[in-house]
Amino acid sequence: MAPGRARTYYEKGGTGRGARGRMGTTKSDEPARRDEADQEDRFRLIVESAPYGILVADSEGSIVMVNRRAEELFGYTREEFAGLGVEDLVPENRRSEHRDMRSGFAAHPELRQMGAGRDLYAVRRDGSEFPVEIGLTPLPEKDRMLFLASVVDITARKKVDEELRQYARELERSNSELESFASVASHDLQEPLRKIRTMGERLETRSGEHLDERGRDYLLRMIRASENMHQLIVDLLAFSRVTTRGEPFRLVDLNRPFGDVLTLLDVAIEESGAVVTARDLPAIEADEVQMRQLFQNLIGNAIKFRRDGVALSISIEGNVRAAGEGEICEVRVRDNGIGFEPCYGERIFQIFQRLHGKGKFEGTGIGLAICKKIVERHGGTIRAEGALGEGAEFIIELPKRAMAPDSRIA
Amino acid sequence: MKQPDSIILMMADDDPDDREFVREAFEECGFRGDFRFVEDGADLIASLTASRSKEANLLPDMILLDLNMPRVGGYEALEFIKSDALLRKIPVVVLTTSESEDDIERTYEMGGNSFITKPAGFEGLVSMAENLTRYWLETVRLPGQN
Repeated sequence: MAPGRARTYYEKGGTGRGARGRMGTTKSDEPARRDEADQEDRFRLIVESAPYGILVADSEGSIVMVNRRAEELFGYTREEFAGLGVEDLVPENRRSEHRDMRSGFAAHPELRQMGAGRDLYAVRRDGSEFPVEIGLTPLPEKDRMLFLASVVDITARKKVDEELRQYARELERSNSELESFASVASHDLQEPLRKIRTMGERLETRSGEHLDERGRDYLLRMIRASENMHQLIVDLLAFSRVTTRGEPFRLVDLNRPFGDVLTLLDVAIEESGAVVTARDLPAIEADEVQMRQLFQNLIGNAIKFRRDGVALSISIEGNVRAAGEGEICEVRVRDNGIGFEPCYGERIFQIFQRLHGKGKFEGTGIGLAICKKIVERHGGTIRAEGALGEGAEFIIELPKRAMAPDSRIA
Repeated sequence: MKQPDSIILMMADDDPDDREFVREAFEECGFRGDFRFVEDGADLIASLTASRSKEANLLPDMILLDLNMPRVGGYEALEFIKSDALLRKIPVVVLTTSESEDDIERTYEMGGNSFITKPAGFEGLVSMAENLTRYWLETVRLPGQN
């Protein structure tokens, strides 16, 4: 179908103006009139090809013009639109309200969005309803006032919105399930563990001397194993709380959590003789408690995996660079410790992964997994570089301005 | 102050192991008084009500209260104790496995005097018993002791 020719317009009362096609005007052959006609054709083409429905109504609410998309949207032909008023396109329970608002708009016409802040629905020929967004534009003519409504079918968008909301609800539920699982696990698993420890200690104190050396050794190892499990559960709970118990983001000068960590770790730092320096740490939007946890884990890690006979130095360096519309804050934590084989660079961030035998280094293998989870909650990344015997470097990238934290995936 | 051997401790806890550990821990740090046990909040309320109707001397000098107990839980018992003009003077130490912030807050809001998460290991229990004895039984002044 050739758009925009003879029946682009339907005009009530049929003045002939709207039904006028090219045929009616080209005969006169005056250049000015042809220009005008060409211009009108062009305009029709624009209206017809618009991706949203266009309806023009007069101040009585009678529809005087529609485009092709409006036909598709509402299921009426142009001829059928001719007998309709705009209220026929409004769900029945909204019609009188719509009529009042239309009169109000006619009295104070201005370009505006209809129904801002609430859901608008339109009715098709078959009675079905669909969600719409409508923009209103007054079109003053010489002798009357017309109104143009552009109608967008937002069914698809609403569906996406609904899916997103559904997804957010599920996420919230799975987060709270994780939290309650972790808290139940930590509570109920700790219970028998506490008794194993306590009875083991009682046994050692009261009957230790009746046991032979081997028996005492078993007992001590049993107590130590239950202490390890206690630590595992505590760490697992901390891991689950990164997302469930995170604080909202605020502007944090990273020097502050860094300073806190120096205080927290002062004994370990002094005992290891480590020299810890920080340079150019910026202020970013973050959860301050988690930034402290992050530094504490990384610096604690560097102290733990120091190299015998080498003066330990740990340097932390910040750097901010532009990225897209925002800025990325990069923090590098570098040490001269034992390092690791580069092939393990990814694995060390997995929960419960350890590169060393339990006899050599303490720990549950959860610290770096917590770091990764913290960084990801902040919309950033963390990676490790290093070589065996040549120290390790952790590179964290965080957006300087954070996104809303709690819409994030656990 | 009461003579050490006339001090009455009351512990409400449904876990027999914990009752034994706590008693041993108090004995370990020299407690020589009367250590009584009930298994839940209902028994605690019944016992307090019975003692209270005889003479104040029979009331415990400190109550160790578990939160999660069958029948009548710790909170209900705490509410009962703190709404009674006589019983409310007894220090109530909530001794629970919970570490939850909500429980801590609720305990103090309801007038609980201390909140302690059950320590892991016997040494932790002994030091808790020492601290509780020194503070609540030997240091602080409570109403009606003269």
